[in-house]
Amino acid sequence: MSGVWGKVLKVDLTNGACRAETLPEQIYQYFLGGAGLAAYYMWKECPVGTTAFNPANRLTFAGGPMTGIRQTGASKWTAGAISPSINMNADSAATASFGIEMKETGFDAIVVHGQSPKPVYLLVEDGRAKLKDARKLWGEDAYETEDAIKDAEGEDFEVVSIGQAGERLVRYANIQTHKKSFVGRCGLGAVMGSKYLKAIAVRGSQNCPVHDSAEINRLNKEINRRVADLDAAQPEFLQFKRVGTAGATELFAPQGNLPIKNYSLARFPSGEKNLHGSEYAKKLNAKPWPCKYCVMQCHNLCEIKKGLYAYKGKGPEYESFAMMGFNTMVDNIEAVAYACELANMYSMDCISLGVVIAWAMECYERGVITSKDTYGLDLKWGNAEALVEMTKKIGERAEGLGYLLGEGCKIAAERLGKGSDAWAVQMKGQEIAAHNWRAQYISALNYCTGVASGPNHERGNSQHIWVAHVRLPEWGIDEVRNEERWSWEKAPPRNAIFHDYCNIINSSCHCKFHEFRGYTLTDLLNTINACTGWGWNIEDLRRCGERITTLQKILNIRYGWQKEHDFQYPKRFMEPVDEGPAAGKIPIGLENAIMEYYRVREWDENGKPTGGLIRRLGMEAYAKE
Amino acid sequence: MPKVRINAKEQEFPDGTKLIQVVQKIREANQDHPAIKSLIEKTGKDHITFVYNGRIVKAQELNSIELKEGDEIHWMLPYAGG
Repeated sequence: MSGVWGKVLKVDLTNGACRAETLPEQIYQYFLGGAGLAAYYMWKECPVGTTAFNPANRLTFAGGPMTGIRQTGASKWTAGAISPSINMNADSAATASFGIEMKETGFDAIVVHGQSPKPVYLLVEDGRAKLKDARKLWGEDAYETEDAIKDAEGEDFEVVSIGQAGERLVRYANIQTHKKSFVGRCGLGAVMGSKYLKAIAVRGSQNCPVHDSAEINRLNKEINRRVADLDAAQPEFLQFKRVGTAGATELFAPQGNLPIKNYSLARFPSGEKNLHGSEYAKKLNAKPWPCKYCVMQCHNLCEIKKGLYAYKGKGPEYESFAMMGFNTMVDNIEAVAYACELANMYSMDCISLGVVIAWAMECYERGVITSKDTYGLDLKWGNAEALVEMTKKIGERAEGLGYLLGEGCKIAAERLGKGSDAWAVQMKGQEIAAHNWRAQYISALNYCTGVASGPNHERGNSQHIWVAHVRLPEWGIDEVRNEERWSWEKAPPRNAIFHDYCNIINSSCHCKFHEFRGYTLTDLLNTINACTGWGWNIEDLRRCGERITTLQKILNIRYGWQKEHDFQYPKRFMEPVDEGPAAGKIPIGLENAIMEYYRVREWDENGKPTGGLIRRLGMEAYAKE
Repeated sequence: MPKVRINAKEQEFPDGTKLIQVVQKIREANQDHPAIKSLIEKTGKDHITFVYNGRIVKAQELNSIELKEGDEIHWMLPYAGG
């Protein structure tokens, strides 16, 4: 085999046992790695009835064939498990260096199950693994945990860790690495916490053989130069290395794509001014903080030297910025950045956190909760102090509202009642991300039909056809007019293409932000072939994407998905805003589009893969339930 | 009549077509895109990037380049975000 080891590390936390398991090449040809491999292990080892906090849940950390080949963007890796927010299979991706270092230990993936009798961390080094006592780390935040492990084991270990929110099972707890990258969505940090697994540390020195290293070097040189040149050609207020992804607010505002005031408003003038990319660079003193081998450098190290919100650390990404800033109407950029970093340290997903706090603010505005419930905080829109303090209360799982909000706004609304589900902007238990369905209807379709990790903008990304002008001409998405944003005509097949595309990216383990700087499907195909020697063509690539999507759908069904869940979209989807670029736009016709999506996918009228699809993809063995 | 690929799609152009003519058509076709309109209002430019045979083209070069068979042109709207 080339490009992969054909070997994963299996860890049984209940019995404290670690062993290597080999995998045949066919599994990689079907599912690549990353998200595909995580789905494979759930399929193989998590039967019907397995739930998120059940010790039988498999939490997989996986790289892919592109991991570590020194191409810009090839530092991505994926974690997957049954999620405590959507109660189905989910995956989420991160970068920095963990995936590369993990692959250098001689394993393509680490698959953890069971529940340790006491807090532990896993140490993996060049083919050997052991569990170590983490009782002294339990209760520390995620960053303190990483520091402590590096002090104990060596600075050159790469670490993933959880903070208090993961330990205390906040349903949207994340997993952090290197204090700058996060397995953000779907609460996989809580899965780790439920297993009493505080962290994993990896260090390796083995280079995985590839099929054609000369071709990889040639591709890297050309692609790395092209991507770097294209970023440098952008205006300063949009360059990744200056403002990270937060600069997107400049382009999203005129498209009506921002989430404002719990998705109820179209304009936020002080937000657009104060949360602008130029303010990001200036007030947060942003400097590039790149992932390994990346030339785009979209991560930033920020520093606020003095005042209430002084910190030095990760600058917020677009989603964090949008949800914790625009969505809560907090236009104090320093407070937003500080609150995001607090969330990172506690290990909480800023998207869900921002939506949940906005939901609570709307509850407060409507008198459904009062200051008696909010620890005396004036939880009004735009209150920066309240944003920061509620982040702490939720991260610590403080008794009362803090605990409730840690359950996510679906459960919180069910428990609170008083009609508060009407403004809970969530589907299937996961909060909706910062791409507004009013700006392009395909976002609504994506949220409703996603199979990789519930309603997740990044497991589809079809909004990028408009908000980022992404094209996939090799798979038939080339000319697109602006007005088609609000047309259903081509939305179902385009949505399907993007679902498969994201699965390919997250399974080969590349960073899809590179598509914003001219990285193409052909680049991806050529690189995968150079790594593996499989000689795929562009249709083989699509077929692999379809297989991963189909496997995820099979898992959705196994873990309790039913057709009606795709139609239980937030009430707010059908509430228009009355001004701005998307004034009056609501996705009427969404239900028909979902049914058309099923048809395009070769799923039956109940949303289940047909026999014909299963046979076409050679997945008979996976469809027997 | 040279056949040229623009964003991976093949198109045919009359002999003597200059790159600037293609660029102008692309600019006109995108001037109503809300993000582009906003950028033009705020900065005076659309910030669309043009790549000709793997190299970013500077504005002053556009008029001197004549299209030839097999040329590859990529153009990208400005983008930053996730």
